[in-house]
Amino acid sequence: MIDPIRLELIKNALVMVSDNMMVSVLRTSRSTLIKSNMDFSASILDAEGNMVAQGLALPGHLGATMPALRGCLDYYGDDIEPGDILASNDPYAGGSHLNDIFMFKPVYRDGERVCFLSLILHHTDLGGRVAGGQAADSDEIFQEGLRIPPSKIYVGGTANDTLLRVIEHNTRVPDKVLGDVRAQVAALISGAGEIEKLIDTYGAGELKTYMTALIDYTERLVRSSIRDLPDGEAEFTEYNDDDGVGGGAVTIHVKLTVKGDEIIADFTGTSPQMGGALHTNYWFTASLTYAALRTMLPADTPNNVGFYRPITVIAPEGSWVNPCFPAALGGRGQGGYRVRTVVTGALTKLFPDRMPACPGGNEFGLSVTGMTAEQKRFLHVEFHNVTGRGGGPDADGQDAGPYWLGNMANTSVEIIEAENPLMIEEYGFLPDTGGPGKYRGALGLVRQYRLLAEDAIVQLRADRHVYPCWGIFGGKPGGLSHSYFVRDGKREEAPSKFVRPMKKGETFRAEMAGSGGYGDPLERDANAVAEDVREDKISIAHAENEYGVVVDHHALTLDEPATTTLRRERLQ
Amino acid sequence: MTHFRLGVDIGGTFTDIVLLGADGALYNKKILSTPDDYSRAIEDGVRSLLETTGIPPTAIGEVAHGTTVATNAIIERKGVRVALITTEGFRDVLEIARFRAPRLYDVSFRKPEPLVERRLRFTVPERITALGEIDLPLDKDSVARVAAQCAAADVNAVAVCFINAYVSGEHEEAAAAILRDKLPGIPVTVSSELVPQIQEYERTSTAVVNAYIRPVIEHYAERLETRLADIGITAPVNIMQSNGGVLPAKIAARKPIFVIESGPAAGVVGAQRLGAKLGINDFIVFDMGGTTAKATIIADGAYAMAPETEVGGDAALGHRMTQGGGYIVQAPTIDIAEVGAGGGSIAWIDSGGGIQVGPRSAGADPGPVCYGQGGQDATVTDGNLLLGYLNPSALVGGELSLDRDGAEQAVAALGEAIGMDTTDTAYGIHLIANARMMRALSSVSSERGLDPAGFPLLAFGGNGGVHVCNLAEALGCQQILVPPAAGLFSALGLLFADVEHQCIRAYYQSFDGLDLDACNKTFATLIDEANTLIAADGYAEQARQITCSAELKYVGQNTALALSVPHLPLTLDSLAALAESFAVAHEATFGYRSDEESVQFVSLKAVGQGLSATPRLPDSITLPQQTQPISAARQAYYGPDHGWLETPVVPRAALNGTPKAGPLIVEEYDSTTVVRPGWNAQLDSWNNIVINKGL
Repeated sequence: MIDPIRLELIKNALVMVSDNMMVSVLRTSRSTLIKSNMDFSASILDAEGNMVAQGLALPGHLGATMPALRGCLDYYGDDIEPGDILASNDPYAGGSHLNDIFMFKPVYRDGERVCFLSLILHHTDLGGRVAGGQAADSDEIFQEGLRIPPSKIYVGGTANDTLLRVIEHNTRVPDKVLGDVRAQVAALISGAGEIEKLIDTYGAGELKTYMTALIDYTERLVRSSIRDLPDGEAEFTEYNDDDGVGGGAVTIHVKLTVKGDEIIADFTGTSPQMGGALHTNYWFTASLTYAALRTMLPADTPNNVGFYRPITVIAPEGSWVNPCFPAALGGRGQGGYRVRTVVTGALTKLFPDRMPACPGGNEFGLSVTGMTAEQKRFLHVEFHNVTGRGGGPDADGQDAGPYWLGNMANTSVEIIEAENPLMIEEYGFLPDTGGPGKYRGALGLVRQYRLLAEDAIVQLRADRHVYPCWGIFGGKPGGLSHSYFVRDGKREEAPSKFVRPMKKGETFRAEMAGSGGYGDPLERDANAVAEDVREDKISIAHAENEYGVVVDHHALTLDEPATTTLRRERLQ
Repeated sequence: MTHFRLGVDIGGTFTDIVLLGADGALYNKKILSTPDDYSRAIEDGVRSLLETTGIPPTAIGEVAHGTTVATNAIIERKGVRVALITTEGFRDVLEIARFRAPRLYDVSFRKPEPLVERRLRFTVPERITALGEIDLPLDKDSVARVAAQCAAADVNAVAVCFINAYVSGEHEEAAAAILRDKLPGIPVTVSSELVPQIQEYERTSTAVVNAYIRPVIEHYAERLETRLADIGITAPVNIMQSNGGVLPAKIAARKPIFVIESGPAAGVVGAQRLGAKLGINDFIVFDMGGTTAKATIIADGAYAMAPETEVGGDAALGHRMTQGGGYIVQAPTIDIAEVGAGGGSIAWIDSGGGIQVGPRSAGADPGPVCYGQGGQDATVTDGNLLLGYLNPSALVGGELSLDRDGAEQAVAALGEAIGMDTTDTAYGIHLIANARMMRALSSVSSERGLDPAGFPLLAFGGNGGVHVCNLAEALGCQQILVPPAAGLFSALGLLFADVEHQCIRAYYQSFDGLDLDACNKTFATLIDEANTLIAADGYAEQARQITCSAELKYVGQNTALALSVPHLPLTLDSLAALAESFAVAHEATFGYRSDEESVQFVSLKAVGQGLSATPRLPDSITLPQQTQPISAARQAYYGPDHGWLETPVVPRAALNGTPKAGPLIVEEYDSTTVVRPGWNAQLDSWNNIVINKGL
């Protein structure tokens, strides 16, 4: 008999243990990616490796934890004992990309395994051809850095120094990476202590029973929520500009079926595996699909295996969203945004009153590395994936509004400048780039860098130079991305993905895509258009061309008669 | 004779007023807040308290005030029209913010709109590098043009924030001089004068918030002093700051960003001072009210400070690790964890058949079902009533009577949905509320690597005493303290704080090759400033205490720590000692030290404290207003292990130095304390209820 009160208490306790592991990592880690961007997740899995509870997890980590643990269990079988900590970053053994090192600590009582604690951290650099491990133009995983197959980083309570030294000697920033690895281990050990206390309170058997009940409870909750959605089917197609090595556009296609209490996301029709490193492996594809679907479920739905059970993700093997060994995956963060936007597109078609048009941004991921004047290495890794929200369903896409499927902060200009020989010359909105619509998409953003050091290597993985963020139901797409270098007054256009040298005084300008619009722009409230003009978010010409709205050049007020006439003409 | 001090704390629902005599006699009054003009409830409440006690207004020698006025002005967008002036290329920093949302997967979330619209955000050519060098000189003609645009746009206040001004405020000061000259009567907030801290968005937001609410707070402070003068109270009014010090209202109103967390700070300062008086250096402060519960940890006699706070972020709904729901303010704030679990938190059944408590709250209106004001949803308070913890016939000294039948129906309906009887359901609600609070308590301790089990709990707030014993059992704590006037303890805590002026200067200099003379000169200037300010408050030289500190960090990293600088002027030796204390503190906070990295200053600070001639805390507290409880015993439920037990109900005065075994309920005007079986209660010399584990 499951006591609903006790279930809620145990659920709270487990989430608290995961949260406290997160807090511990935050307190003791070294890198900006962890401390400031918080690119890490904590969770608790049952003795068989089923996810039971998660702290504040990143969407991309939602579905990857279980397969990574599965990879370790497949390798070690019964050869796991108290005091072990398992580690892996192998995308071909359930992992995600090499920078994400998964660690698992089993907790035992009287010789019986009660559960696993899990922590995933994105480590700043694990070697490879290009610093930061994000290069889009790698061809094989062997170019991307250190691959750690399922291993033990702690054996029976003792650190595996060999593995730690291998990691230390395969990163460009050993103090940061080893510091983060230690923080990861320490948090797992303190989390295990808290689980021990829970076992003292409830007993191992009772705790295991309630972990199973928690999974069943979540499955009931999710099935009931899906049942409340109308049945339906929608298809959506999106494109990535290219595969990172000049292989042309990539097609990503999904068919979403809501039927009864289940959802099927079928990626059949997606391009086959190509060159480059932007692929998303199956578990990353599944994670992002779960995340996109989670927007349709109640906010407090627990993240555990009960949430995944009613959802089926079909991604054909050998396709771009489920590539075969040894495909490179380092830039999969960018490719993953296309998975998010294509599932969002299908959801928008299925539930037009609940979902907006495509969010803006070009999935900008930059790394700059070189030597400072003092001959010390600097490595700046920065992500600026999104720029704002798509228009609709009942309001404009908020300019610079945060993205519901990713919660990574932008990086402070002053912190970048304090830590690196870089100067940011501009960071702001790009007028006229919001996708026109009844509800306007958010504006794109620009960021412009100047190099202060003598030399550096710059690597960019971005997209949306060719295929814009889509509008929907008559709404138009947002402005395209665009970037270029300026050296000695000469401008040189840059593609969306590159690795190249940069010289002192040279500038790099990145204009990031605007969001899509929702509904016919001619239906947009003319006063809102005039207000956008007064806010300098759109030009007078843009108001006239895209919205059929005439704004007085001097007073910046709406010219109602002229607007009525113009809009009538446009409608004919 | 001025032998009384008046403490006034405005909360969302109630305004709490206490009068403390020099002999420790404590009188208090709870009155509903008046959000249209908060000073009205203060005037009414103080008048009424003076009338019932017969204390003349002239007997009040000091007034201390904790207020939510600053927060409300921001949340309700009642500030003034502000123009923002920034470096060319950075017009949108304020609006772009940080791309953080307090929760994921919520498509409808919108971050708060910027306090300055784009058309009032102006830029001027200028640029200072991260090393403080001028890359592009300030274009003064542009500043003059912007001043003219500000005048034309009819702005009431101006904020200036340039990139890297935390390293050098030179350009900001030059621009401010022009603006002040061209815009007489318009207050100009300068980011480097206010908070010389790294991160352009956070510093800009801070400067803008300050500019936005300053005129509102100045007006409020004037009105409050006028109202008090009308009653005949002419004593100076001090306002509590978020960092735990008080300041004369007129001074505090000029930099209102420092009073945003005024009310919560008062409770913590009161607790910390009380702990010091009692000789307890390590404990957890637990404050549970109607909508939220707050926890703070006192370690080595000190509370932790957070470098910033978020206004209107609805922290109770999100998580301590998430941000983006409100306006960031870089003002040192007592670090308090908050969760959405209070007496008004609603219990409900989700679609998976699980029972949840909060974060939605019935608030004060309609309130819990048992308030009989139309509330339909079972709340934590309804559960506590059914469990026998609360007096069924009266709350707030009989001013509020409770509808037990209504509460029972609502809780029974919930129980039916999950197949449990009413009592088990009520007890479950109580436990789940505790579980949510545990998360707050646990986060404050684990953030500092401490185990809460060894710590006593100091509980206050209207519901603190009702929940604390069960919470202590869950945490493994052995001792609990419930101070007198627990339901209005924040108002009392206001009276324990010292007057404190903070003088800060950006000082972005590495220890390597530091110009010691220049550094000492800057400290000397700050000490002079602090001295002048504290002297202006009327403190004689021997009653002034100046302490110096500095924010330090490793060169090339960005998390700074505040370290005290005990010996001035600095010498090469004391500088080395300071670097070592920084490394030790860094290791304690972040788990490592980096001896290969150089240490640098970020800012220097002098804090001037005015030491009161008489002790801030009396030797003991007496409660002359105390009344007898209505019943002498009732049945209360303590979980399946104990079941229903006949429980004596007593006033605080019925306790003494001899331990009295639980179960026991201590009922007072402003709060109720539940002593569970297995615990015992006694009074200490300060009139605190001390509850110990074991018989």
